[in-house]
Amino acid sequence: MYAQFFGNFLLSRNIVTCDQLIQAMKKKSTEHMKLGTLAIHASYMTAKEVDEIYIEQTHQDKRFGELAIKDGYLTKAQVTELLKDQGPDYLLLGQVLVEEGIIDNEQLQSLIIEYQSANELDDFVDYSEETQESIQHLVENFFVATERPLSAFEVSFLQLLFNNLIRFIGDDFTPVYPYPCTEYPTNYCVSQQILGEFSIKIFIDMTKSTAIEFASRYVGDTFDEFDEYVQSSIEDFLNLHNGLFNVNISNEHSVELNLTPPEREMTELLSFNNEGYLLPIVFPFGTIHFILVVTTSR
Amino acid sequence: MILENAKILIGDDSILARKQLKDVILSQGSPTFFEASNGQEAIDVYKKESPDLVFLDIVMPVKDGNAAIREIREYDPTADIVIVSSVGTQSQLKAAIEAGAKDFIQKPMNADQVKRVLHTRFERG
Repeated sequence: MYAQFFGNFLLSRNIVTCDQLIQAMKKKSTEHMKLGTLAIHASYMTAKEVDEIYIEQTHQDKRFGELAIKDGYLTKAQVTELLKDQGPDYLLLGQVLVEEGIIDNEQLQSLIIEYQSANELDDFVDYSEETQESIQHLVENFFVATERPLSAFEVSFLQLLFNNLIRFIGDDFTPVYPYPCTEYPTNYCVSQQILGEFSIKIFIDMTKSTAIEFASRYVGDTFDEFDEYVQSSIEDFLNLHNGLFNVNISNEHSVELNLTPPEREMTELLSFNNEGYLLPIVFPFGTIHFILVVTTSR
Repeated sequence: MILENAKILIGDDSILARKQLKDVILSQGSPTFFEASNGQEAIDVYKKESPDLVFLDIVMPVKDGNAAIREIREYDPTADIVIVSSVGTQSQLKAAIEAGAKDFIQKPMNADQVKRVLHTRFERG
């Protein structure tokens, strides 16, 4: 997840243009070596075992290494070794930018130091509690611009959202700093509400052409027109994400939440109170806008 | 597997989810399909067609999956209902089982889980 935030860090400092970043993220994504692939290469796991873990990851928000240890496929030492081989993915993004001649190695070095110290990151990424904390910290830092502190539940929600985008759509995106939003003109917009101890209403909005590409990636099929399946896949993604969030919260905090069915927003202009904030996610095929409205019902 | 004479009802508000489930089932045979996009429709179709197997989502408009299971089981206590949902919390599972669901498949659906459900019900011999 670090590379996506590193991309935003570079963009916000005008080190790269949006186009340069999109291209570099795309290239990074194709060069990124997954932990499962490294485990097969090291003969620690079979392809079937790796696939099993990938399926498990779609049902529970856990890292590959964590699940592989739990299922007895890898030892802690093996995961540590594979993670060392893999290296942090933001370094790969930096390397792509150097190869493309957008920055030089000296710049990369100082940018990495700046990025690491701004987010209190260590060089070495593992699956420990500390790494979990640093990802939380990264998400919290990222949302400073919304000028409102995030609750622990919101941090979990956002972390899961980034993970689900990586798992179900692709890792070649850059999140743009979120900002408070009182009005939003819709394109194709779907919303869903999580209700319970607290309430989150989440909107997902994109243009029709972006929706076609989004659906193609989500379903793993090629769609050519903005049909009912494309529309349904956006509702499906939202419903899947929110369902998994409810499972996480139930398992980790014993808090039971409910979901309303996803709904198409027909209004051309959405209006919000102060609680709403807009989170744009830039993919090579277009930008997806998430709007989150969080309220506490206690 | 003998699916040719089977009647299967899929109740899900997502047309994509219905299609994905149908595609997996069709890879195993060609039953007669019935579809419903909310809980009330699922109840109505059940009463009309008496399917052998029902796949139901939980979060649906008009009437949710658990309410639909209760009504279907009230009408037919032998109804064979499998929940397919992304909301797999312990309390949701408990509620679905208490309502009368016999199995649970967590979304995103994995083809092997669906095949397992079909094999345990329609295996020859």
